[in-house]
Amino acid sequence: MKELRVRIFRFNPEAEDHPHYQHYQVRANDGARVLHVLQAISDEMDPTLSFRYCCGSGQCGSCAVRVNGQAVLACMEEAKDSMTVEPLELPVIRDLVVHMEPYLEAIASLIPTGEFRMPTHEEVEAMKPLRSCIECLACVSVCPALKVTKFAGPTVMREDMRLAIDPRDHEDRVTASVADGLFTCTSCQACWKTCPKDIQIPGKAIEKLRALANREGLTLPRHQEVAKLIQDTGRSVTRTEPTLMEQVPEVIEPRGEVKGTVGFFVGCMYNQRLPKSALDALEVLKRNGIRVIIPREQVCCGSPLIRTGQVDFLDTIKSRNINCFTFRGLDVVMTMCAGCGSTLKHDYTTPFRIMDITEVLTRFGIEQPAPLAIKATYHDPCHLLRGQGIRDQPRELITKVVDLVEMPAICCGSGGGVKSGNPAEADALGELRRAEIEKTGAEVVITSCPFCEYHIAPHTDKPVKNICTILLEGYAEKDRKERPPA
Amino acid sequence: MLLCDAAHNKMHSDEEREAHVLVIGSGGAGVRAAIEASTYGETILVSKTLAGKGGCTTMAEGGYNAVLREQDSCDIHFEDTMNGGALLNDPALVRILVDEAPRRMEDLLRWGAVFDVTDCCEVAQRPFGGQRFARTCYAGDRTGHEMISTLIDRLHSTEVWVENEITIISLLKDGDRVNGAAGLDRQGNLRVILADSVVLATGGGTKIYDISTNSSSGTGDGYALGFRAGAELIDMEQIQFHPTGAVYPYDARGRLVTEAVRGEGGLLLNINHERFMDRYDPQRKELSTRDVVARAIATEIMEGRGTVNGGVYLDVTHLPRSQIETKLPIMLEQFLKFGVDIRDEPMEVAPTAHHIMGGLRITPQGETTVPGLFACGEVAGGVHGANRLGGNALADTQVFGRRAGDAAGRAPSLEKIADTMGIDAIQSRLRTFDQGDVQPSTVIRSLQVAMWEGAGIFRNAKDLEKTLGIIDHLSTLKMKAPARENLAGCCIAGNMLTTARLVVKGALLRKESRGAHVRRDISQAWDNRTSPYSHTYQSLEREGIEVRP
Repeated sequence: MKELRVRIFRFNPEAEDHPHYQHYQVRANDGARVLHVLQAISDEMDPTLSFRYCCGSGQCGSCAVRVNGQAVLACMEEAKDSMTVEPLELPVIRDLVVHMEPYLEAIASLIPTGEFRMPTHEEVEAMKPLRSCIECLACVSVCPALKVTKFAGPTVMREDMRLAIDPRDHEDRVTASVADGLFTCTSCQACWKTCPKDIQIPGKAIEKLRALANREGLTLPRHQEVAKLIQDTGRSVTRTEPTLMEQVPEVIEPRGEVKGTVGFFVGCMYNQRLPKSALDALEVLKRNGIRVIIPREQVCCGSPLIRTGQVDFLDTIKSRNINCFTFRGLDVVMTMCAGCGSTLKHDYTTPFRIMDITEVLTRFGIEQPAPLAIKATYHDPCHLLRGQGIRDQPRELITKVVDLVEMPAICCGSGGGVKSGNPAEADALGELRRAEIEKTGAEVVITSCPFCEYHIAPHTDKPVKNICTILLEGYAEKDRKERPPA
Repeated sequence: MLLCDAAHNKMHSDEEREAHVLVIGSGGAGVRAAIEASTYGETILVSKTLAGKGGCTTMAEGGYNAVLREQDSCDIHFEDTMNGGALLNDPALVRILVDEAPRRMEDLLRWGAVFDVTDCCEVAQRPFGGQRFARTCYAGDRTGHEMISTLIDRLHSTEVWVENEITIISLLKDGDRVNGAAGLDRQGNLRVILADSVVLATGGGTKIYDISTNSSSGTGDGYALGFRAGAELIDMEQIQFHPTGAVYPYDARGRLVTEAVRGEGGLLLNINHERFMDRYDPQRKELSTRDVVARAIATEIMEGRGTVNGGVYLDVTHLPRSQIETKLPIMLEQFLKFGVDIRDEPMEVAPTAHHIMGGLRITPQGETTVPGLFACGEVAGGVHGANRLGGNALADTQVFGRRAGDAAGRAPSLEKIADTMGIDAIQSRLRTFDQGDVQPSTVIRSLQVAMWEGAGIFRNAKDLEKTLGIIDHLSTLKMKAPARENLAGCCIAGNMLTTARLVVKGALLRKESRGAHVRRDISQAWDNRTSPYSHTYQSLEREGIEVRP
């Protein structure tokens, strides 16, 4: 037995204006789950505590709650000392119990075709990963799009996709999914990462549905324009100033001893729109002994095509990108754009290793910059945090220079083709970021993705800076201090 | 629907609703019954939980038995089921089960169930205990979940009105006939639903035991509701202890470890790494019937050959990793959560109370002994005799769910007269919970421990009598509901006491060992075939054991 202190969200909307938190000290058995702690409270201390559960073994999806901010199944999550238990971010009925029915009822039902055909082995294997959903609504509760726009939600998309490939279903699920908000998903991956059954809804349902929608001519006009631009120019955005590659040579030698060599996959945004951030990054790399090679033949990684379901000429792009680095015999290709990095890691099969710049810098180790008396917050790019599982490296670098104040890691709204296809939704999510940034009291917002940099900037009055820019400012301060007085 | 404010004893009817058929329960049997009944008229399905999330169907992992191959036959399935049930099953019900299971599987497939298939597009089947043919259809090890997803999906396509999170606390009667039910919603408001016929599909009740596989809803409400309404129950002593329940962590003890683990080739080993089933059933070994395997494991543990955590090993580490990953993904995931990678180390398991074979006596149409009341699924008795074969319960839910729904739907429309005396009695009973002084959770804990110790796998008259005494004592305690939302909890605890009493009394009535029921204080000169006894029976009016002609 062990003693646990827990803090639990209590709210009776019928009788109270605001929720409050109640503290309990509970004796729990070794290995007890969150559910067992709730049961112990209800059985022995406070029978008025409301929570849902049924199977107690992770199969019915009744008991999802937030533990320390993360949506989990209470019956499977190990109880920890000092944990905070809150309801999912859905309308609360009482304490930890939320309204689930409206979301469950939105999930489509199979309408049998007249002629029955048994699904093939391949069809069953394609459907199975989409069928393991226990409808706990953890995904729905974390979906940023749902909060600001009309979107039926991740698990509806999941079932729409399953029905789209089920030969026994009669309806046109692709058109239905477009009406359900198929193009409102920012591909932030929050639904997948919170799913207790690890269902990859963005990749296995939403992007696949978007590809089917593309075949039916349902791709948004703005997304078609992007695809056309890529096909015509190799780039997903137009240039607004001299590109990075026009400003630097193909091989950039570091100052001093060479600690390593990396290929640099620049990406459309850093090449065409934000070359300043990329130049800052090159300065940081130079100062830290990393030789950078930038093959000129590289083109768009194809992420805008994959996220929007336009995959016709994807293979051509992929082989061109892979070949230009392979040809130069590079073992490591560095990305600086979170979206490119995630795409190269997950949608490509490469003979070389892909590393984000924050991985490269922390791996080789960097010269200590001078600390700046600045309070900053960090916006986790979705495709870095959830797409590549990179959480600690950016923080390790940032805290060398500034005081970091954390804020919740929520999508800024720029991904998944939403900024181009649904600008109002992207702006609404951007405004939510503004509110979170305000709460931190930070003077600067730091991030590590060009889409986030570009999108958050108009949604905050604080400067938005790339990690490398901040590092460079730290080095400038160091140089200033060390410079002999004139 | 009539709404009554339980605390103030005022009845008001601002949301009056009657239905042709009322189905109580949202597991496999209840949903199947509602789908069928809805073809005859307005149907309401009431669920104690969110529909589809409660009950044991969604937790059922292993599979659904159905004869689908030429080499197999319904006659063999019939014999396997009868023999597995120690010949205590009602043969007419078993005949229906085996004959109709394939057609009900077809329904599920038409409605979109995603079962595993072979390369030839046939439903894949795996071997299960006590069966001479591999006839257990499956969807990985989440078969029941796949079924309930499909059924709920289908339910949404019907006109059935679903009422979530209402705990039915009493059946209502017009004379001899059941014509509705009263329940409590989340807030503790009393709600009354009247209907021409009522289908009890409330599932099982092994939550009356300290160690159980059941979900929170497995509290035996249906046995108690039916009994109090005058229905006769049979063979309530027949409790299936599933051989393999998890032993760690302590609070999740009893959690089901599917028979599919053994179906896929899992081995049972004691602390000396001896494959002990060789000694108990050399032919069928791990795939013997559940009663035999559960007793073997219990014996190994009692005789000191168990693990430190009080279990035996269930080992699949010799199987290809890919087989474990694709055929047992839920097991892999659950054990990983608890720190055991079953690809590399053995599981630890021990018996756990799983299924009540007994229940309301039914006809092949699902009629109980009370007019207007139907029963299907685990709450009904007779199909599985003294020991249920793994994979027969899911089939049972579909076969008898459809039959009960159909028969209830065919019932004539009658004038619906509210049972005011019954409702008054309910209100008085609810008021007693204002004055009580014992938490229902305290009553339940004491009951669970007493049942596990006194009415478990091995039984004798002395312990059973003692257990009955404890149940009697617990029944005299005055339970307390600190808020209206807690009234249902008090009623459920009461139902658990009633169900436990039926189990213990059944166990005293059956003075023989038969199937899952073992009386260590009785030596008998007969086997299943020559036993003089048939069903035990209990109702408000009579109790006893049938003697075979």
